[in-house]
Amino acid sequence: AGGGRDVREGEERGRREELGGGMRGESKKGFCVRSFGTGNQVKLPGPALDKPNIYDFNTTYDEMYKDLHRKDPELYTQNGILHMLDRNRRIKPRPERFQACKDKFDIIVTCEERVYDQVIEDFESRVKEDMQPVHIINIDIQDNHEEATLGAFLILDLVTMLQDSEDLDNEIDEILQDFEGKSNRSVLHTLGFY
Amino acid sequence: MEEEKANEDTTSTYDKVVSLLNEASLLHKDSQKTNILRQVQELIIHKDPNLLDNFLDEMLAFQSDKSIDVKKVVISFMEDACKHDYGLLHKTLPCLQILLQDENVNVQKKVILTLPSLYKIMVSWLIKSKTMTDDKTFVWETMKAMKKKMFDMIDSENDGVRTHAVKFMEGIILVLSRKTSDSEVPKNIKPESDVTIDSIPEDHTLLKAKRLEEEGKKMFDVLLQFQGSPHISSINLMTVMGSLTNIAKQRPTFFGKVVQSFETLQVNLPPTLAKSQVSSVRKNLKMHMLSLLKHSASHDYLTQITTLLTDLGATNSEVMKNMPKIDESRKRKA
Repeated sequence: AGGGRDVREGEERGRREELGGGMRGESKKGFCVRSFGTGNQVKLPGPALDKPNIYDFNTTYDEMYKDLHRKDPELYTQNGILHMLDRNRRIKPRPERFQACKDKFDIIVTCEERVYDQVIEDFESRVKEDMQPVHIINIDIQDNHEEATLGAFLILDLVTMLQDSEDLDNEIDEILQDFEGKSNRSVLHTLGFY
Repeated sequence: MEEEKANEDTTSTYDKVVSLLNEASLLHKDSQKTNILRQVQELIIHKDPNLLDNFLDEMLAFQSDKSIDVKKVVISFMEDACKHDYGLLHKTLPCLQILLQDENVNVQKKVILTLPSLYKIMVSWLIKSKTMTDDKTFVWETMKAMKKKMFDMIDSENDGVRTHAVKFMEGIILVLSRKTSDSEVPKNIKPESDVTIDSIPEDHTLLKAKRLEEEGKKMFDVLLQFQGSPHISSINLMTVMGSLTNIAKQRPTFFGKVVQSFETLQVNLPPTLAKSQVSSVRKNLKMHMLSLLKHSASHDYLTQITTLLTDLGATNSEVMKNMPKIDESRKRKA
């Protein structure tokens, strides 16, 4: 999903069922979660693969909703996009771009290798502040409803395991290997510094 | 009239700090306490720095709080305070020395993170002073002891402590080395305010440039050796690779040794890494090699770097895109 693919639990396009998540607050499962896109624009599926709907990061979910509702209510109801945008607009006004965010996180989860690369690249180019480390983890999750729902459960499992660790920096290698075994997926992991 | 208003402001800030500190000492919930201490920090460092001296001891007293988060706030306060007034180093460093031995590794790690910037502050403070006082010698000796401790910490049993010790060494090596014309300077550092060996006058009584430069080289060798250790963890490995890349770019004297160490590493990855860790490490290595390639110092190592990049799966266009720009002086020489 091009520009809007997500950093940190969930996707900018919106599927946050499991970790849930208000803009800054706690999710349904008690995690403090925020979600971002890393591309230059927000891309949503259009009438054909080569005709996506493209918005900039200033566009609100509400505006996107109205725009798509006007264009083809049937199509965008049937493919779930309107439903997703409706939920998103109740969570926060508009999508956020990771590179523009100054806040610091403990863990960043990406759902696609390309996004993982963009996050790492962003950390390389940032002006360094206090060198506080952040774990960056990628789990590949295909960008469709079914995989995303499954992916949300997987990420919930993972962050729960990370949360339960008393000394994450020391135990994360083992936790990730354990998770890879359980979920039968491989993860990428590195450390960024603020 | 205006003066009166300023006085009033000061008094009210003073009163506010007093009441906040009282409140903090009575609170039991960590999050409330840290919140209040952060407010005090803001008031006495940024709003009215004249009050810093008045309340320093009160703030430092919270270092013995039971809460890890409170300790971490006090550590960042100490760093901030010293940035504001170099003379406070003789009060804060002994506290940090104690906190570096804290039973909680997160407290230790927070201290380690602040040390490179305090080291820099200390060196520029000592450079500026004409005469050495007991305070200054004390600060120097305390820092020396902590630096020595870092050599033990890089061998710690705790993965996170080792990672932080690597970042510490990176910071110190950058101070204890010389800049050259092709040194890359981080965006947030003004070239004139950057502290390196070059800034130390030859006749300084405490700071001996030559000896310190040797010490920096020794530390660099420790990092190389650490990178080559056969059972290094993937996170430690990626951290030290990043540190060596930063050092090579900012201090190109080390460029050749870093490239060479990456060549050795690529054919000799630790056998203890899991399959996905190997992918992560190779990905990192490729990224660092591309950023080294971009640097003008890569001219003398182009074959090594491009071969290594091809082995790491970089495409031709990725390599071409990151080729160093040929600067005019080099062109003329050729």
